Amino acid sequence: MPGRSGASHEMTDILRSERAAEELAAEHGVGDPFAAAIRAARMAMIVTDAHQPDNPIIFANDAFLALTGYHRDEVIGRNCRFLQGPGTDPAAIETLRRAVADGEDVTIDILNYRKDGTTFWNALNLSPVRGESGRIDYFFGSQLNVSDKKRVEFELGDARDRLEAAVEARTADLTQALQQKTALLHEVDHRVKNNLQLISSLLLLQNRRVTDPAVKNSLRGMLERVSAIATVHRRLFQSDDVERFDVSAFVRDLVGDMVGTARRDDIKVQLDLERVDIAASKAAPLALVISELFSNALRHAFPPEAMAGRNGEIFVGIARGEDEFRIEITDNGVGLESSASSGGFGLTIVQLLCQQLKARSETMPADPGTRVVVHLPINGGHH
Amino acid sequence: MGERPLDVLIVEDEVLLATELEFLVEEVGFHSVGLAMSSDEAVALACDLHPDLALVDVHLRDGPTGVDVARTIQNDCGGVALFMTANVKRLPDDFAGACGVIGKPYSEYGVKTALTYLTVCLREGLAPGPPPLGLELSPAYAERWGLNAQPHAV
Repeated sequence: MPGRSGASHEMTDILRSERAAEELAAEHGVGDPFAAAIRAARMAMIVTDAHQPDNPIIFANDAFLALTGYHRDEVIGRNCRFLQGPGTDPAAIETLRRAVADGEDVTIDILNYRKDGTTFWNALNLSPVRGESGRIDYFFGSQLNVSDKKRVEFELGDARDRLEAAVEARTADLTQALQQKTALLHEVDHRVKNNLQLISSLLLLQNRRVTDPAVKNSLRGMLERVSAIATVHRRLFQSDDVERFDVSAFVRDLVGDMVGTARRDDIKVQLDLERVDIAASKAAPLALVISELFSNALRHAFPPEAMAGRNGEIFVGIARGEDEFRIEITDNGVGLESSASSGGFGLTIVQLLCQQLKARSETMPADPGTRVVVHLPINGGHH
Repeated sequence: MGERPLDVLIVEDEVLLATELEFLVEEVGFHSVGLAMSSDEAVALACDLHPDLALVDVHLRDGPTGVDVARTIQNDCGGVALFMTANVKRLPDDFAGACGVIGKPYSEYGVKTALTYLTVCLREGLAPGPPPLGLELSPAYAERWGLNAQPHAV
């Protein structure tokens, strides 16, 4: 081998002979602290000869023999694939083969077999050793038993897989529960709406039968109240947030419907509505209060015989104060004293519901007409 | 208007709702040709009587078959369907070919306004303006009736 140093030249010549390898390596070590260190190292190490067919082992230290359970005679002269077995990952073997073929370093964890058939995880490092010409003369391999580390890795992997499976199963459960809940909500919403429609239809049907004006008036009043609740439910499920209720949107719907139903083109409605959200649980009582007050103005403030060609006006305002919502309904009609307000039941409803809402209502003359203001505490507090 | 009243078919399995609705449509000037409570009845009556408008609930006696009824009336019977349902959110995006939807619970005034509006649309082939509160038109019919660029009232 041209260009080699004397020492390695000499070593090559001798080590090529399989049988002589051990003896000569021992001899060689007498004056060579590096070889002595390798022989005595606790880490398993081998050297293979890249020039011989099938790259056989020409040197193995004691740690290698201890690790694999083979005698030195059974190792020298063989390719180190005898360490592989049925459980060895073919992909790892292919990685090794390719690294050797390409003359590259490789570090890989591979499952190896001892002579007695037991397995161990080998953290293998294999590096080509190049001579001065750049050709690969040897491969140097070091083996470390990492079975313990591997076992922990596998256990961790198993634990992680189990955890992931558990999380997945739980997520599936929750998703299903949510779907069921949503379906149920839709079903209940659907039933509530249909039943409200049914109640309205019943009242309308009966109203068609009766002739007594007082009974007709009562039925109309009840129909209005049911409609107010129906309007709440239409609005309540229109938004994605079923917990909050937009009062101003509701008032716009309600007022349009009531004015249309009353067929009073001579009454104009003016709205000044700040967007105000309340808890859904307060929506129906507040809706009834507003409906009752607006209906009162619509039905009683402007008796047709008192209009004399002029237009009436009802103002509805909603404003957010510091700690209360202020709902105002003002008409410029005939005023409380002269109105034929049925008073009774409608006002009782307003009083009772204001109690329930912890709200306060004030009625005052508006010159002309009447002003009613409802103060609704924002956080359900007392006045 | 001196024209003949438009024929309407009511497809609704709740008989009290249907009866009251029949009064309402007649008050607005439609002529009610009948009441169907199941999908089979609805399709048979629609293809037999050719109503100008069919008011269709989604839930009928034989289940949530109203969507298919609307599609069949539209495609095979040459009529126009209008949904009247509490399940507005569950309608397909194309409204199954129907011209629109009135959400339940509707008010007497809301239905009358919507039907009066639809009378003009059906007779003139053109909407007199944006649809009234409570009526939502399908995208296809909004375009057909000249409302393509205008957002409808919610």
